[in-house]
Amino acid sequence: MLRRLSVIEPATLLWLLLVGALVVLVAWPVAELLVASFTAPRTGAWTLSNYAAAYGRARYVEALFNSLYLGAASAAICAVLAVPMAWACSRTDMPGRGFAWFTVLAAFIIPPYLGAVGWILLAGPNSGWINQAWVWLTGAEESLVNVYTFWGMAIVIALHSYPFIFIFTKSALDLVNSEMEDAANILGAGTWTTTLKITLPLVWPTILAGIILVFLETIALFGTPAIIGIPARINVVTTQLWQFFEHPVRAEVAAAYSMPLLLITAGLIGLQKLMLNRKGYVSQTGKGGERRMIKLGPWRWVLLAWCGFVCLLSVAAPMVALVQASFSRAWGRGFSLDNLTIKNYRYLLFEHDGAALAVVNTFVFSAAAATLAIFIALAIAYVVKRKLLPMGGALAFLCMAPFVIPGIVMAIGFYAAYAGPPLTLYGTAAMMILAFTARFLPIAYANGSAGVQMIHPEMEEAVRILGGGRLTAVKSVVIPLLKKALLGGWLLVFILATRELSAAIFLVGPETRTISVLLYDLSEEGNLEVLSALGGILLVITLVFVGTGMKLIGRDFMLRRGGE
Amino acid sequence: MTDTGRRLDRRGFVGLTAGGLLLPGLVRAQGIAPATEISAHERSLYDAAKKANESATWYVSHYTSETAEQIGRAFEATYPGIKANVVRTTAQVAYQRLTQDMRARVRNCDVFSSTDIGQYTTLKTDGQLEKYQPQNLRFLFETFQKASDPDHFYWVTSAGTVLINYNTRHVSAADAPKKWTDLLDPKWRNRIAVGHPSFSGYVGNWVVAMRLAYGWDFFKALEKNKPQIGRSINDTVTMLNSGERWVGAGPGATTQNSASKGNPLAIVYPEDGTLLMIATTGIMKSTRNPNAARLFVEFLMGKRTNEIHAANFTDTTRPDVPPYPGAKDLATVKLLRPTDAEIEKGIPEIRELWRDTFGV
Repeated sequence: MLRRLSVIEPATLLWLLLVGALVVLVAWPVAELLVASFTAPRTGAWTLSNYAAAYGRARYVEALFNSLYLGAASAAICAVLAVPMAWACSRTDMPGRGFAWFTVLAAFIIPPYLGAVGWILLAGPNSGWINQAWVWLTGAEESLVNVYTFWGMAIVIALHSYPFIFIFTKSALDLVNSEMEDAANILGAGTWTTTLKITLPLVWPTILAGIILVFLETIALFGTPAIIGIPARINVVTTQLWQFFEHPVRAEVAAAYSMPLLLITAGLIGLQKLMLNRKGYVSQTGKGGERRMIKLGPWRWVLLAWCGFVCLLSVAAPMVALVQASFSRAWGRGFSLDNLTIKNYRYLLFEHDGAALAVVNTFVFSAAAATLAIFIALAIAYVVKRKLLPMGGALAFLCMAPFVIPGIVMAIGFYAAYAGPPLTLYGTAAMMILAFTARFLPIAYANGSAGVQMIHPEMEEAVRILGGGRLTAVKSVVIPLLKKALLGGWLLVFILATRELSAAIFLVGPETRTISVLLYDLSEEGNLEVLSALGGILLVITLVFVGTGMKLIGRDFMLRRGGE
Repeated sequence: MTDTGRRLDRRGFVGLTAGGLLLPGLVRAQGIAPATEISAHERSLYDAAKKANESATWYVSHYTSETAEQIGRAFEATYPGIKANVVRTTAQVAYQRLTQDMRARVRNCDVFSSTDIGQYTTLKTDGQLEKYQPQNLRFLFETFQKASDPDHFYWVTSAGTVLINYNTRHVSAADAPKKWTDLLDPKWRNRIAVGHPSFSGYVGNWVVAMRLAYGWDFFKALEKNKPQIGRSINDTVTMLNSGERWVGAGPGATTQNSASKGNPLAIVYPEDGTLLMIATTGIMKSTRNPNAARLFVEFLMGKRTNEIHAANFTDTTRPDVPPYPGAKDLATVKLLRPTDAEIEKGIPEIRELWRDTFGV
């Protein structure tokens, strides 16, 4: 035993420390919820009645199925939107790749609430502009599109979630070198065959991770189902959950209602494992490699048109709502010169009590949470993939768990775990940062895990043969190779944290308000003009941040430039 | 200081400031001279609170954040040295937090304000509220005095209305519905916007009142006109502004606020009654800041708070403060207000009925 202890590397202690962090961040709040789900509200006695209440009624179960359908539909739409864009941006000579990137980022940053309002303006069955144009052009009596339907909701959700799959897929494609594509070409395969049979299958684990994330995110989403789903008369898990918090509050029933979502997460992780089993996805070996752009010829214009189409749907539509409302005195009056004003921006920037603080808070919390989450997730992913600790599956599950429990329920767990003694973090920045870190750890983990999967251990083994420790291997091989993927992951977490609402709304104190909470307040107040202006400010600041970050990271290191 | 306190009008205020008699904190308040009236009772609470170094933490859900913050700062300006911590969130979150606090025996909250009367009856039954008779209660509209708890555990501190709102571009004042039953006219098919009683206390109260007045058949008939169901009562304002819907059962305050910016909206006080929604306030049992909490409750019923109400498009609770622009004096309007018991019993019932009738 002692001999075994003596061969423990210092790195192992670090791994154990990280597992400890994971327990504090995730296992504790989830355990609080699990206990609550088996607790009778007033007496505190052990009971199964919460589960009976949550699943004893057909209408509650129906909401669960609606959520599952919605998740699957959104994830499928996202994949269709994002994969061609990612491939075009990463591997081809399509013009306007910067434009495509901008589209994706903007779609991600725009608050989904504004996106939904934008789509109500465009595709509302009575007054939507598309329908008015249709009626005017064709003289038809019936409107053409209706946003208040299942598919309307699925599409609007997808339009703000496809960046998940884009960013994942693109960072994976950035790591695939051209050797295998060359082999296929030599054997007579054309560009399309090679792409469909070689390139995309190589990054399939990453695409799958992205699809699973969108699926889970859709299930946990509240905003869009509340704005579009309720008028469409469709109840989903989150809108049903919210009703458990109306008086008489049944938080324990809400906890019980959410627990099966954890099983779904576990099931998906199992499925993912099964689908990826016994196939090699390693594309990063120690044997060097290079990447060339694929010359698309006239097809590049087709791809560009596709990117333009996605941009039109996901950015232009909400931007119409945002720009129109944010510069309006009264948005209900529509476009007219005397309706123009910069008052909404001036009010937020110079007169509003909390806006400036909320902006600073948002960026500080988000940056801190993104950094923490990426650091922990990479380490855990490494430990799991290299099998450095037993029970890797359990660790992976813990990393994914916070995502699927809807924010409002998870927030109860956070509040129970962190707010009171021993940590007593109520109202502090630390509480917000911990909650954001835990909540978006799944994104960071999915990202880190997919990245580590692509790196062949032989390079780390080389370091170790030369006498380097595990940490040296990680520092000098894994991190440099994954630099771009990690930055992609960091950006994802950062952007998501700036949008995070459901946990934030429960955990904010007087000094820790964030932009998303402010946006929600403004939407509750029906104050669309100021809300849009705040959305505009958020968009500009985030784009500056992201642009600076991307400049700092430098150019694609594997890309062979023309003429070199 | 006399028993009735000293009234500071604007001129007197300026004079006093010039004379340097006022504490500097008062100057920070809003730039305009506040109508500050400090009674002997308030003075003694203030002195006791100051002596014990107290502050007041206020969990509140029914105001906009800005209104809540303004009230907090006006309180601090009126009573320098007593800090007001304003924790403003949505109703569900505020109450959920409160119960979490009680379970963990953390006494964060001193004063709790919400529109959900059921929360107060539960808190009262559980012995979580402090008994107190606010002296400023007698200055409120009689309706509000009566709507406060006869056992003195919670009191009305704010109010709102549900009435008919409409888009003036599509509907002329002459054509607009005059009473609730007008909404059942087939000409409003696909034109009506309402909120959802499971997401909005305002809507819940309105549905209870309509059911009391006309029976559930009212809603079965309403469904024939295919109303659009939003979540919050304020969603009706968004739907009317976008032109997607033309008439709604909406909030007086938010509609008029939006109309005051130039949006094409107007309101009708229905002939068969405007729903009066009240928000109540209670002091939490075993608060660590008993004097500051009481002083804060008095302040919520004061003139200054009601001036902030009117400036922020919230209904006033005192007859001596004029209502927000476009609003009628509540004393002149036919009001509907179900009793606490009707609301508490009715809301869970109508949520089920609503789901049966409207499917969501």
